[in-house]
Amino acid sequence: MIEVKNLTKLYGERVAINNLNFKVRKGEIVGFLGPNGAGKSTTMKIITGHMAPSQGQVLVDGFDVFEQPIEVKKRIGYLPENPPVYMDMFVKDYLTFVANLKGVNKKQIKELVEKAIEKTNLQDVSKRMIQNLSKGFRQRVGIAQALVSDPEILILDEPTVGLDPKQVAEIRKLIQSLKGQHTVVLSTHILPEVQATCERIIIINQGQIVAEDTLDSLTTRMQGSKRLHLRIRKVNGVIEKLNKMAGVTSVQVNGQFMDVDYDGEENTVENISKLIVNDDAGLLELRHENIGLEDIFIRLTSEGGLQ
Amino acid sequence: MRAIWTIAKRDFRTLVTSPLFYFTLFICTSVWSFVFLRSIQEFSLRSSRAAAMGGQEMNIHFYVFGNHIGLINLLVIFCIPAITMRLISEEKKSGTFGLLLTSPITATDIALGKYLAGFMLALIYIFVGFLFPLGTLAFADFSLKLLLASMLGVVLMTGVYVALDLFASSMTQSQFLSIILCIVLNVSLWFFFQGGQSSSNEVLDAVLDHLQFAKHLGHFVYGSVSTSSIIFFLSVIFFFVFLTQRVVESARWR
Ligand SMILES: Nc1ncnc2c1ncn2[C@@H]1O[C@H](COP(=O)(O)OP(=O)(O)O)[C@@H](O)[C@H]1O
Ligand SMILES: [Mg+2]
Repeated sequence: MIEVKNLTKLYGERVAINNLNFKVRKGEIVGFLGPNGAGKSTTMKIITGHMAPSQGQVLVDGFDVFEQPIEVKKRIGYLPENPPVYMDMFVKDYLTFVANLKGVNKKQIKELVEKAIEKTNLQDVSKRMIQNLSKGFRQRVGIAQALVSDPEILILDEPTVGLDPKQVAEIRKLIQSLKGQHTVVLSTHILPEVQATCERIIIINQGQIVAEDTLDSLTTRMQGSKRLHLRIRKVNGVIEKLNKMAGVTSVQVNGQFMDVDYDGEENTVENISKLIVNDDAGLLELRHENIGLEDIFIRLTSEGGLQ
Repeated sequence: MRAIWTIAKRDFRTLVTSPLFYFTLFICTSVWSFVFLRSIQEFSLRSSRAAAMGGQEMNIHFYVFGNHIGLINLLVIFCIPAITMRLISEEKKSGTFGLLLTSPITATDIALGKYLAGFMLALIYIFVGFLFPLGTLAFADFSLKLLLASMLGVVLMTGVYVALDLFASSMTQSQFLSIILCIVLNVSLWFFFQGGQSSSNEVLDAVLDHLQFAKHLGHFVYGSVSTSSIIFFLSVIFFFVFLTQRVVESARWR
């Protein structure tokens, strides 16, 4: 559905994205995950035809974004970083305006506007002026605007940023409900977002893709290693020995507490506990801790990728 | 076509509900009515004196309306920028311009839609301005044909300002800069092409002569609606709308 080939964008001298390649299949919900400044918004602006790339190509449904922009734009609903709303318009008038811009069939406009309002739960404010709405509602108007032409593809740039937890939950539910009806690409810099909504993640850092996989296999890929959480009275004596032990990948110390990452073998756990007890170091606590996606993300983006 | 009208309608509604519009219209009306009443009084005084002395009857069109039309032109030079600056620079700032750029419409649709909105609003000023001479129909005898020809001339001249200012507004994000730029452009357009230039080159002289906006507008005020003047105005309008379209299109490439 979307095919990005060798995409590069320079802002003057600054490289915003560097040679990106990825595909999004029809009906998928793909998360575009990366820290601030990674190049997510830049990529989305190029896919939607807002901006031209410095190099490379984007195909949407087989149409080149810059050869046949109209064909591409007909198929895309786009929520930019800031919802593109006119402050002096009423919600319903605004959505009708967008539907007209998107070339929606005149007879369908009313119905589609109603549907977008319903999906985004805007019924109560549909006759209010946008400048009088809270940030959360404006964001929802932004999403309604992307939905109103019932496009095949939705591109959502950080759809939940700046919202309170309740609103975040609502928007995530909404995105999940779009599954099967639209192909969705959403960007975010927070992990739970993709965990909650996406089937596949593309992790991007400093303009480059560092990992691209399904959520499940990314999690299992990291499952090889496990973490032990320890509390020990005499820490100093054992740090060195733990670090040298076979199967131990890293040791982090914080006062009496210690996080030990190891290869996941039971033998290693046995060796660790034996070492501490034999050393008479005073073992107070020992338990397993999960390595969450959060850690995977931090490792991927800070170490420049895993492979 | 539909996209043009969609944009024009939305923009027109925004413009026509803005306080700035009412403020400028209020100023214009005040100035026009003050000056118009004064010149009507003076005219009636002088024409009755002329009649008493058995002189020729004076023509209200040239003595009163001519000045008034000049004043409409002058105020429009300052008011149009106040409106048109909002058309593009404000949208660039608020991010709604991105919505237009990512909609299945062309840069030409955007430029024409915005032009149409600005032009429709400008027509309101002109209509209000011409209410004054039209109002005198009740008690003065004059040629309506002359007045309508003048009105057409003013409409075309204003169309040029709107196009020029739209172009200026497309080039900047700052509304303040945009408004200053527009006024400077309008004033220089009007005064630079006032005529009186002469060089040793005959062709250049002819070209400069043709570029005199005041001269063309003058033709209309004197009742001669010439095709060449209409074409002149329309082509200048086309030129600046075209430039705007190019700027809109190039916004993607930066
Ligand atoms: N208009 C711009 N001019 C110059 N640099 C920019 C511009 N927009 C973004 N950048 C830079 O490009 C990089 C990628 O930005 P962006 O795509 O907005 O990242 P993200 O959306 O992932 O936070 C950043 O380093 C940012 O500073
Ligand atoms: Mg961003």
